[in-house]
Order: sequence, then structure tokens, then C-alpha cells
Amino acid sequence: MYKVVIGLEVHCELETKSKNFSSAPNEFTKIPNINVGTVDLGLPGILPVANKEAVKKALYTSMALNCKLPDEIIFDRKNYYYADLPKGYQITQNTKPVGVGGYLDILVNGKIKRVTLHDVHLEEDTASLEHHPKYSLIDYNRSGIPLLEIVSDPCIESADEAVQYLEDLRDLFLYLGVSEAKSNYGQMRCDVNISLMKDTDTELGTKVEMKNINAFNNVRAAIEYEIKRQSELLDKGEKVVQETRRIAEDGKTYSMREKVDAVDYKYFVEPNIPSTPVTDELLDELKSNLPELKLSRYLKYKELGLSDEDALTLSKDRGVSDYFERVIEKSDVNTAVNFMTTSILSTLNKLEINIDELFITSNMLSGVVDLVSKGNISLDHGKKILYQAIDEEKDPNLLIKKAGLHQINDEDELLELIKSIMEENTEVVRQYVEDGNMSAINFFIGQTMKKSNRQANPNKSKEIITKELERRKEDAK
Amino acid sequence: MYRGKSITELRELLDKEELTSEELFDKAKKLAYAFQEDYNSFVTIMDDYKIKRRSDSLIKGIPYALKDNFSTNGILTTSSSNILKDYVPVYDATIYKKLRKAGGVLVGKTVLDELAMGGTGTTAHTGVVKNPWNKTCMTGGSSAGSAAAVALGIVPFSIGSDTGDSIRKPASFCGVVGYKPTYGLISRYGLFAFASSLDHVGVLSRNVKDSAIVTDIIKGKDINDMVTINYDKNLVESLDNDIKGKKLFYIKEICDKSQYTDKDTLKVLDDFYKLLDKCRELGFIVEEVSIDKALLEAVYPTYMTISCAEATSNNSNLTGIQFGPRGEGNSVEEIMFDARTKGFSELIKRRFVLGSYILQKENQEKLFLNACRVRRLIVDKMNELFKDYDGMILPASGGGAPSFDDSSEKLSSKYLLLENHLAIGNFGGFPSITIPFTFSNDMPVGVNITGRVKDDDLVLNMANKIESVTGYKDIYSKVGDIDV
Amino acid sequence: MIDKSKLKDYANKLMFDMEDSEYETLQEEFDVILKQMELIGKIPNISSVEPMTFPYKNEDVDLREDEVRDYLTVGEVLDNTKYQVNDQVKVPKVVE
Repeated sequence: MYKVVIGLEVHCELETKSKNFSSAPNEFTKIPNINVGTVDLGLPGILPVANKEAVKKALYTSMALNCKLPDEIIFDRKNYYYADLPKGYQITQNTKPVGVGGYLDILVNGKIKRVTLHDVHLEEDTASLEHHPKYSLIDYNRSGIPLLEIVSDPCIESADEAVQYLEDLRDLFLYLGVSEAKSNYGQMRCDVNISLMKDTDTELGTKVEMKNINAFNNVRAAIEYEIKRQSELLDKGEKVVQETRRIAEDGKTYSMREKVDAVDYKYFVEPNIPSTPVTDELLDELKSNLPELKLSRYLKYKELGLSDEDALTLSKDRGVSDYFERVIEKSDVNTAVNFMTTSILSTLNKLEINIDELFITSNMLSGVVDLVSKGNISLDHGKKILYQAIDEEKDPNLLIKKAGLHQINDEDELLELIKSIMEENTEVVRQYVEDGNMSAINFFIGQTMKKSNRQANPNKSKEIITKELERRKEDAK
Repeated sequence: MYRGKSITELRELLDKEELTSEELFDKAKKLAYAFQEDYNSFVTIMDDYKIKRRSDSLIKGIPYALKDNFSTNGILTTSSSNILKDYVPVYDATIYKKLRKAGGVLVGKTVLDELAMGGTGTTAHTGVVKNPWNKTCMTGGSSAGSAAAVALGIVPFSIGSDTGDSIRKPASFCGVVGYKPTYGLISRYGLFAFASSLDHVGVLSRNVKDSAIVTDIIKGKDINDMVTINYDKNLVESLDNDIKGKKLFYIKEICDKSQYTDKDTLKVLDDFYKLLDKCRELGFIVEEVSIDKALLEAVYPTYMTISCAEATSNNSNLTGIQFGPRGEGNSVEEIMFDARTKGFSELIKRRFVLGSYILQKENQEKLFLNACRVRRLIVDKMNELFKDYDGMILPASGGGAPSFDDSSEKLSSKYLLLENHLAIGNFGGFPSITIPFTFSNDMPVGVNITGRVKDDDLVLNMANKIESVTGYKDIYSKVGDIDV
Repeated sequence: MIDKSKLKDYANKLMFDMEDSEYETLQEEFDVILKQMELIGKIPNISSVEPMTFPYKNEDVDLREDEVRDYLTVGEVLDNTKYQVNDQVKVPKVVE
């Protein structure tokens, strides 16, 4: 057995209206070259102008990741020649990244693992290349889209941890609203560095790098394959070659190129973007917007008595979680969980909408939850009304009132009704009084519900029926 | 009637309707063609007269020339390099937009040292630019054509760029005014970058006032250039302010005659000291200061180091992929390699290799960062002096323009302080202006005044006063003896 | 003196080549500038000075508001190259 050491470099496109250094649109499209500014094309004479929103979102994310934030924003140039890099350099951060250190706590197989970070930096995406058998085509739409790179320390020890980390990072981006993080659009991609070492080794093994993997299951496959491949090599006493590999469709990794010597990117401070201070005012603003994060909410829900599965489900999405928390501010937790995990989430799935688009507000739901938890209406009814309300886009609480579906809770009213039913069924009353037939109770409950158009409060009805039957029994004596 | 006239004079002709702006354009164009073969000022001479009619600017209808490293939508812009020989931009530089909006009439795009990386005017892909005062001499560079076009009287003003002395040195050699304002006063958007932290846009004209007029029009904050600043002071209005008691200094280590033997240089220095006396008569206080020679000797290598390093990166977009001549080859690397090998001249390549060496990880600390540190020391020293003084006055060069056969672009191992101090203005972004003040060997020589950052009004004010006593205001080479 | 083959390697990394004689000139140039830079290194306490990137402290800097303002048409993007297919710039196949 070998100890697996994995470091991940995650790239995430930030959601902004315009690009990082130009005012061209930052928008996913399949139509080539329609979102390109002079800066994104690297034309002679262009100058980068840094996007305030991208900087804010980068700092905000760093803050959520517990990083040390810089006192000023500056950028650096990373110089290299490649077909997808029209300027011949990428504007990135080397001297003072938006975040240094930091960590993300993740939940892997029931245990909390702390993934520590090297740094978080803001940079720009490259153009995209479309490969044909005999040539490649360059589309500059992606060129200049703000990209946040989160570099972990080599502290991840399994494919499970790696994938969980990626999922939790994605949830974090969504929680913070900094990115849509759609990996199928390439908005979230990662580079995997993996090496194996013996428990007794003091130095890391030879590192293999796999670049630009989009899908999380490919990250898993690549890591699992590499662990197997490198273990076999080491078992045989062979050496792992330091190289870049790629994952193919068969789930195996193949060598792309051996690492000859490290490329010298000749970093230097971008002279066209003067430093801007990171003010306390800005930090306070960002801090005040920082939401409680997924893991903390999960732990809180467990405390409230939710099952592991429910706690995970309800904490995964910030909108759902916020909604849930608003519901339980006013109504019973258990009933609320029941409604959330069944009716609400299934509706979101079915309609393919997110919770902000749902007609039923948290206020409406807490009204229904309250009626159910107090026994005023049955759970079944509550759900039935809820679905009707969703279909008709109406407030379920109004529907309950309007359709008269509101329960009869008035004891005098119920007593009068029950008495009249008993008048009509003297034989059944007799069976209870004389023969002690307990099923009479259920019979009268059924009749009460029927006669009341199912509006009678079943619990109260049962109470009154039992009391009435007992009274008659006493009288008969 | 037209040749050699200033903006103010032409304004008067236009306002009195003695000439139309279209006639001015035709005259300028005629002159441009007349001198093109002998002096080679232009890459492109405009065919058509184009003007923005709705403008009440002083330069409405006035012809001007633009250095060929400013992006002009639909007009060839080569930066005098083969790698851009067919490049037609799709966007306008901010300065071109502003000049057009003000009603300025573009006459042509002027020749520069290839990619603005040179100080001779000899390295353009379209050939050597010749000095209007003597065809066997250089114009200096890199704003060679811009200086020559003004010195020939073709246009009253032109636009240049200045990274080390690229406006102020050719101005000195061509006998015109060359003004590089405070860094960020004029937008660089659309200026083909040489060394971004040193690049300035500026004006060449035949008198200080014309430079002030033009700068008032093109200055100011630009959303496309983050280093630009708001500048509300009106430069023209400040020109005639009283300068009594204003303090100037000159540097002993540069001006001390005892260290020179060259006759030309000694004559320039004699005339310089005479000018200082005239300044004192005007009311200036002029004093000699001493600066550590090691620091002064560091100016040139510091300039070379920083400018070459930034230039290597800035010109990495020139690969022939999305613009420029496409190279041959079977891979992207091969086509880039071919385009760049063919597209750059030797001098440019040498500077790029030097610049990239300086930035290499193992050299960065010792070379690049040390140069950036010296830059700070020099700028700090200047700012310290500017606490006591309003400006620095020095000869812009130690003699007239060199002839073609006695100079080369190779780095000199001699420390020619007198020839290389102008880069100090770029290090600190100081406003700096060169005006003609004497002739040596029948060639003009300029004097330079440099002041505090954002004190452009005062620098132009002082230059304007000094200009009145040089006797060389509004000069131009009357070569060819033609007027139109 | 810096080895000529090294200089050639540096040039090639910048995506161009030079004539042999040009490398010789370059060697001499390197010699001069490196000697001058050495002098700079001897300036007292140089290493304690903070490197300067911007000519002066600019207090007037604004980050750009996040608005779509200005961008090119497809025609303008492709205006300066005749190598194009499907509105994209065509290059030899890039081997990943």
C-alpha cells in the first residue's frame, strides 16, 4: 500500500456581465467570436482595465475560504506562447494573490477533512480551440473571462476526497453566487497532481500531472487509474516518470509529454493596472454578505435532529437551505423537513426550476406546515393542497379557506354532528354499549368524516366519539 | 502662406476665411509629398480630407500628423515594422478619437524607429528618416517622422510617443518643441506598447503654446487606460503666469565642462550657461546641484533593463496569427517562429533576447528588480529636489544631430550622461519639455525642462517664458524653398 | 561571456531565430549591459529598496464597473486574417 498525495488546481469562471479586463460580454455561447473585445484579441495598443465585480467576487470567495487577503490588488503577467493566448501573456496574480493559505472543510464518508489551500488567484481565461483532423480553429469568446484559480496543498489522499472537495467547492461557488460552475460548459475545470509514496518515505514521490479535466467522475477515474498504474510500477521497483498525462474516454490515462524542465513564465507586475487598495470598507461589505456555509448548516440540522440524509439534502443548495430555515422559523421542524424533502424538492426537480422560481413562498409553506403540525389538517391533505396550489399558482392557505377544506375544530359543532350520526345508527351504539365492540369507534369516525366532507378534525372527532359512547355506556348501567 | 505657420496663425486664417480647412489639408498633403522622397517622414499620407464639422476647438480644421504606432481604424498602422506591414486596425486610439472629435485633420502617419524601440530614426521598415536641417544627419527617434514633419513645416503639430526620450530627443535634433506630459495625463489606449510603465503620449510643435493647446484637448481620464488621471488645470491659460522666484536646478555632474573635450559639446554647454543667465534675468533662480554620479550612470542601464523586459512581453502578441503576415509551417509554433523571425529586424530581436534574459527567474532579482530599485532611488532623489526646486533644466543633448556614419544603435560602454538623462522623466512620469535653444555646427540643439508630477501647467509656463529669450521660437527648416 | 548557444536558446524560446553574426553582436551587447548592471548591484543597500513598477502613486485609479460597453463584430475580429473557417481563425492542428 502506498500513501496517495493529491493536489488540485481548480479553475472556475466567475459570473460577471463583462470580462476581466475588457468590457466585452462574459456569456456562454456557441456562436464563435461574438463576445470579443480589442483586449481579448490582443490587438496592438490595447490595455487591460480590471473589472471591479470580478475583483470583489474573488476576494469574497477567498474570504469564504478563510484565506489571508491582500492589502492591495495588483496583477502579474505570465509570459508564454500558445495558440489560445493572443496577447502572448496571461494576466494573473503571482506577487499578491487575492487569497493566501486558507482551507475548506469537507465531509468525506461522515468525517470532516480539512483541505488546506496554497493560494487563490484571479486571472483570465484563454481562447478556446476546436480541433479538426487537419487543423484547429480559434474562438476568442472565452478569452479574458475572469477565472479564479484555487490551488490546494498536496493534502488530498483519495479519489473520494478529491471528488468531495470538488463538489463542495462547486457548492461553495453557488452558495456565494460567484459562478454558475457548470463543468459541462467548462466553467469549472481542474488540474490534478498526483504522486505515491511509502508510509516510511519522507519526501513526496514523482508527480504526474493531468490537466483540464471537466467532469468530476473523470477526476475520479483518472485518480483511480493513476493509483493503480503507479502502484504497479512501484511494486515492480520501477520509476514513475514525471510527466503530463491525459484521461481518455476509456477511463485510462495516457502520456502526453514528459516534463523536460520547468517553463520559466518570466512573471512581472502588470504595469498597466495600478495598485488599488483593499479597503476596510470593502472587506466589511463582503463580510456582512458572507452566508453561513454548507457544512455549518449541515451540522446545525443534525443538531435539530434531522437524519444525515435530510441534513445533507437540505444544506446542499443555499436557496433551499435559506427557504427551509425561513419555514422552520415559524413552524415545526419535523413537518417542515417532511414537506421540504418530498413535495418541495420533487416539484423543483419536476419543473426543473430552482427554489427562487417556485410559486410557493416559505411563508405559504410555513402556514401549511403549521396547520398540519397542529393537527388542524392531515399531512395528506396538506400535501394535496400544496400540489394544487403549485398547479394553480395560488396561496395554499387561501385554497384551504376558500374550498372550505379548513377543518371543523369547534367542539360543539362536532358534538352536534356526532350526536345526529349516533341517532341514525342506534344499532352500532348498542353494539358498543352492550357488547363492547370497539370497532364502533372507527365506524363513527368514518361516518363523521364522510358527513363533514372530510372537514372534521379527526383527532377531536375521535375524542368526542369515544367520550359520547362511554357516556352512553355509563347511562345504560 | 501655409508652411511653418503655428496653430494660432492658422486659426486666424481660418477664422478670417482667408483659407478653408480643406485648402490647409491640400497644402499640407502637397508638402508631405514634396519632402517624402528626401526626408521620408511618412508611412502613409492621407488621400482624403476628413473633418468633424461640429467642433469649436482651436484645432478645428488644423492639419496634423500621427506617429504610426497609434491605432487608427481603417488606416494602415505599421509601427514601422515588417511584422505589421499590412495591419489595418479595427479600432481608434483614444488620442486619435479626441483629435478627430476636436476637428483636427489627419495628414498622415509618421515613420518611427521599428516598434518605437530606437533613438535614431534609421530602423523603420520603410527606410531612414532624414534630418530637415541636414540630410546627412539623423533625426533621432523614435518619433522621427513626427519631428521631421513639424521641422519641415508640413504640419504645425504632430503626435509622438516617448518611452526614454523618443519625443524630446528628436525634438532637440530637429529644432522643434517636444513635450511629454505627466504619466497618465494623456491616454495610451491605442498606442502600440513598448514599455508600459515608461510609455507616454506627447506632442511635437514649433512653439510651447501649440503644445499646450493640443494637450488641453487630448488630456484627461480615459476609461480604457487605468493609469490616466483627471487634470482640470488649463495649460494654455497658465502659460503667461509670472515666474519670478521660480527655482530651477541643473546637475553639476552632467553640465560641468571640465569633463568634456568635444568642441561641439563645449559650445552647447557655453550656450546653455548663457541661457541660464537669461533665465536669471527673467526672474528665475537657477542653481547647480550635485547628484551621486553612480546614480546618474545607472540611468541608461536601468532604462535599457526595464524597457527591454517590458517590450519582450508587450510584443508577444506579434505572432502573425490573428493579424500580421502569417508565417509558414506545419504547427502553430512553426508559423509563429517563421513570422517573428522574418518580421523583426536584428536590433529588435537583440533587445527582446536581452529583455527576456533580464526577466528569467534566475536573473530577475539581480537584473530586473535591481533596475526597478534604482528607478525608485532616482525618482526619490528627483522628488527630493523638487521639494526645493520647481524644475530641472539641462541640455537635451551634448550636440546637434549626429550624422549617419558616426553613430550606431549598439550599446555604448561609455557613460554618456549628457545623452541619456531624459529617461529620468519617464522613470518618475515627470512632465518634461524640450525647446530649441541654440545651433551647433548648423544643427539645432534643445534645452529640456522637467518638473514635478502633475505640474504640467508650471512646466509649460516656465518653458514658455524661456522660449521667449532663446530666439528660436517658431523655427523650421526652410529647405526646398517652397511654400504652398 | 554568455554562450552563443544559450543566446540562441533564449531567442528560440521567444519564437524567432537570428543569424550567426547577429548572435555575436548580441554577445557583445550582453557583455556591456551586464557589466553596467553589475555596477547597479554595487549601489549601497540596493537590496533594501522596494522595486518601483508605477512612476508614482496614483490615487486616482478606478476599477471598471462591470458593464458591457464595447466589443468587436465578428467581421472585425477576423478582419486581419484571411485564414478563417466558420467565423474562427484557422491554424495548423494544435496537438494537445
